[in-house]
Amino acid sequence: MIETLQFVYAPQIINGLSIGVAVILMALGLTIIFGLLDVINMSHGEFYAAGAFLGLTLVAIGVPFWVCIVLVPAVLFPLGVITEKFLIQKVFNSKERHILTLLLTFGIAIVLEDLFKIIWGANPSKLDSPIQGAVDLLGVMFPKYRLFLMIFGALIITGVWVLIYRTPIGAIIRASAHDRNMAASLGIPVTWVHALTFGFGVALAGLAGILLAPIYSVFPTMGKDFILMAFSVVIVGGLGSIKGAVVAGLLLTQLQSISSLFISPVWSDPLVFGVMIIVLMFKPSGLYGGLKNG
Amino acid sequence: MTENRNNQKILVAQELSKSFGGLKAVENVSFSIEQYGVTSIIGPNGAGKSTFFNLINGAIKIDSGQVSFKGEDITDLTPSNRLRRGMARSFQITNLFFDLTVLNNLQLACQFIEDRKRLFQQLSNSRRAYERANELLESFELEEKRDSLAGELSHGEQRRLEIAVTMASKPDLLLLDEPTQGMSHGDTNDTSELILALSKKTTVLLIEHDVELVMGLSKHVMVMSQGVKLAEGTPSEIRGNHDVQVAYFGESH
Amino acid sequence: MDKTGRLAIRAVEIALLASAFILVIVGTITGDSFYLRLATEALIFGGLALSVDLLLGIVGLLSLGQALYFGFGAYLSALILKEVYPSFLLAMCLVGIFSAALGYIASFIALRSKGVYFALITFGLAQVVAKGVYNTRALGASDGLIGVPVIKLWTPFGELDTANPSVLFGLTFLVILCLYYCVKYFLTTPMGSIWRGIRSNEHRLSFIGIESTGPKRFAFVIAAIVAGLSGALYPILRGFVSPELLYFAVSGNAVITVVLGGVGTLIGAIFGSVLLTVLKSVIGTITAHHHIVIGLIFVFVVIAAPGGLVGWLKKKLDMRLGADRD
Repeated sequence: MIETLQFVYAPQIINGLSIGVAVILMALGLTIIFGLLDVINMSHGEFYAAGAFLGLTLVAIGVPFWVCIVLVPAVLFPLGVITEKFLIQKVFNSKERHILTLLLTFGIAIVLEDLFKIIWGANPSKLDSPIQGAVDLLGVMFPKYRLFLMIFGALIITGVWVLIYRTPIGAIIRASAHDRNMAASLGIPVTWVHALTFGFGVALAGLAGILLAPIYSVFPTMGKDFILMAFSVVIVGGLGSIKGAVVAGLLLTQLQSISSLFISPVWSDPLVFGVMIIVLMFKPSGLYGGLKNG
Repeated sequence: MTENRNNQKILVAQELSKSFGGLKAVENVSFSIEQYGVTSIIGPNGAGKSTFFNLINGAIKIDSGQVSFKGEDITDLTPSNRLRRGMARSFQITNLFFDLTVLNNLQLACQFIEDRKRLFQQLSNSRRAYERANELLESFELEEKRDSLAGELSHGEQRRLEIAVTMASKPDLLLLDEPTQGMSHGDTNDTSELILALSKKTTVLLIEHDVELVMGLSKHVMVMSQGVKLAEGTPSEIRGNHDVQVAYFGESH
Repeated sequence: MDKTGRLAIRAVEIALLASAFILVIVGTITGDSFYLRLATEALIFGGLALSVDLLLGIVGLLSLGQALYFGFGAYLSALILKEVYPSFLLAMCLVGIFSAALGYIASFIALRSKGVYFALITFGLAQVVAKGVYNTRALGASDGLIGVPVIKLWTPFGELDTANPSVLFGLTFLVILCLYYCVKYFLTTPMGSIWRGIRSNEHRLSFIGIESTGPKRFAFVIAAIVAGLSGALYPILRGFVSPELLYFAVSGNAVITVVLGGVGTLIGAIFGSVLLTVLKSVIGTITAHHHIVIGLIFVFVVIAAPGGLVGWLKKKLDMRLGADRD
């Protein structure tokens, strides 16, 4: 019994946790963008892919992986800001905002995906794991990189939460989300706040991209593959809730990990999606609907 | 649409309460409305008038209490089902189909009185709805604007259309939520006459900020303040009520 | 729909009808196969786009998974033609019935939500079924089903077979025409008004006595039928079906064609499909990266011309007729 726990379940749980952390990072960006900007970012997956591709290239030209982890989000942040300011804001004030932003970001996703194909080619690449080797924990070998991923990811997630809920900047962002007009009349540059928030959200996605690059291969359509998982997490957790993204992210990735022991891995996506549908049907606001709930 | 010749109360609300979070918006308010004529609810901002209004209409769920309409308990019914029984409401913030024409707005509102089997037939077969829509265009003086988009009308015209849409199903009880909101003086007078005319054939419950308008029209008035019923009676009784003067009139002068 | 809007739509309808006639005549005379088959494919995907526009442009529901019904129709059609009997009518009738059933069942899942959630649920439903089909041996797994036979049609003009590109184009054209006018018919009924009411202000409907769930479900089922029947034509044209038909790319393309043509115009969906097919061919001769070009055009249209082509036409007519009035 203990052995099963040790050798069968534990690895899956740890794997699930390491993936979970990256999924949460991606879902965080998505939920922040929706919760604060009321925008459904269908191109979120492509920013995730961009992070991975960028990381790939930087490492290839000799930049150390650890520098890339900082550099990649730093590059994607302004790109996100520009995207929001010059594209998304154009349709933001229309009556049909929700549909239009959805369609617009969908279009951006198409452009980005093909851009990746043009620049990097359609073939998958792999990034070598920056930390080789495994460590012996409780009799089971865990890849060191995955452990790093978990710890680093947890730190970032905590950092994001602190930023949004415990800093003045976070207060400004939340105020703008809650009531644009009120915030504007208090002198807050709302359009800039929106642009910066979007940039921040997609930077998180890019970070997830480069963090996961050593584990999953990197290819142009990787964004699309991941987006359903990210949206599932966001919806189950509650659109706009950071706590929800964390809880749902852990839950769903664990579900995916452990279920792969019993069913063929091709059915794990449908399983996760099935959970999302059930949540949507019976509690559409998710586990912790709403940003007010933290 | 039953005829109630005796002065039975068409609507009886008993001990209605509603809280939002910790805030008691409406607290144990009981109120009944006689058939025909205009009955009004007034009160300062935050009195709970709108909430009470929405509780009666079914737009917000009641925490406790009961509502009965024409003798039937409707406490758990949806707004749609209340409409079926003859209760219709208008909206304080104009809630029309802005990208449809005035005629289309009315036709949609009148679809309710039409045969279900006409649903899949040509629109021109919905004679009853069409005739009623035209009736409404005429009585609300919107004929000239029949093909204009609802969103293109002036504020006063939109408020008129808002009431027209609410009247489409020939309701027994017409709930009007601040119908003269944002209107010019002239429009307000016209609306006042309109409401008076409507109140001859149907019962009107009015929420309003314009106290003079209310006093001129109503046969019965309830005053709310901070979630509770402060007073009720005829306009002259209310005018003479000291508590009301303190709570309300004192502020508006 | 005001006067110039209707005029613009009528203009595009006539343009498409005329082009179809010219194409058939010229194609038959010159013995062309390439353009006729390309046009046939454009129409088939136009039918799918029509189903998207019904939901998006009329009822206000963005479905990112109409490919589910399209692919379903394609697979079912292939199976019937291959394994049961190569009868066009049989395939179409059965696909129509079962697409309706599928749409009806799916509606109980999808209609629980609105707006974004609805888009995501429809997206996910298609993804899940696509994965399921991909992994199902009996349906040919990743290779799909091949070997769909040519169909013979008995008509007053004698026996025709669908291997003939003109015949197939004509047949497809008739089917899509029927679907188009059926959907248009509904728009002239109170049900159509309710649909528009849902898009315009769903909230108000229950306060005037109309529950929106029934009409939404009905639209959803009609859209499933339209997509399914369009999909049923696919194996007749190509002789095979594969899981790709259920993928997001297909659903996504349909949305793009609707936006390019003009959301809510219905004819725009079909025109958009023709336009996209032409664009892909033309751009394809220049570069293999037609996706990015189309993506950029799409982004441009969403931002600068959200009325699509029909919307642009309407504006032009407004200016022209407005000038005449002065």
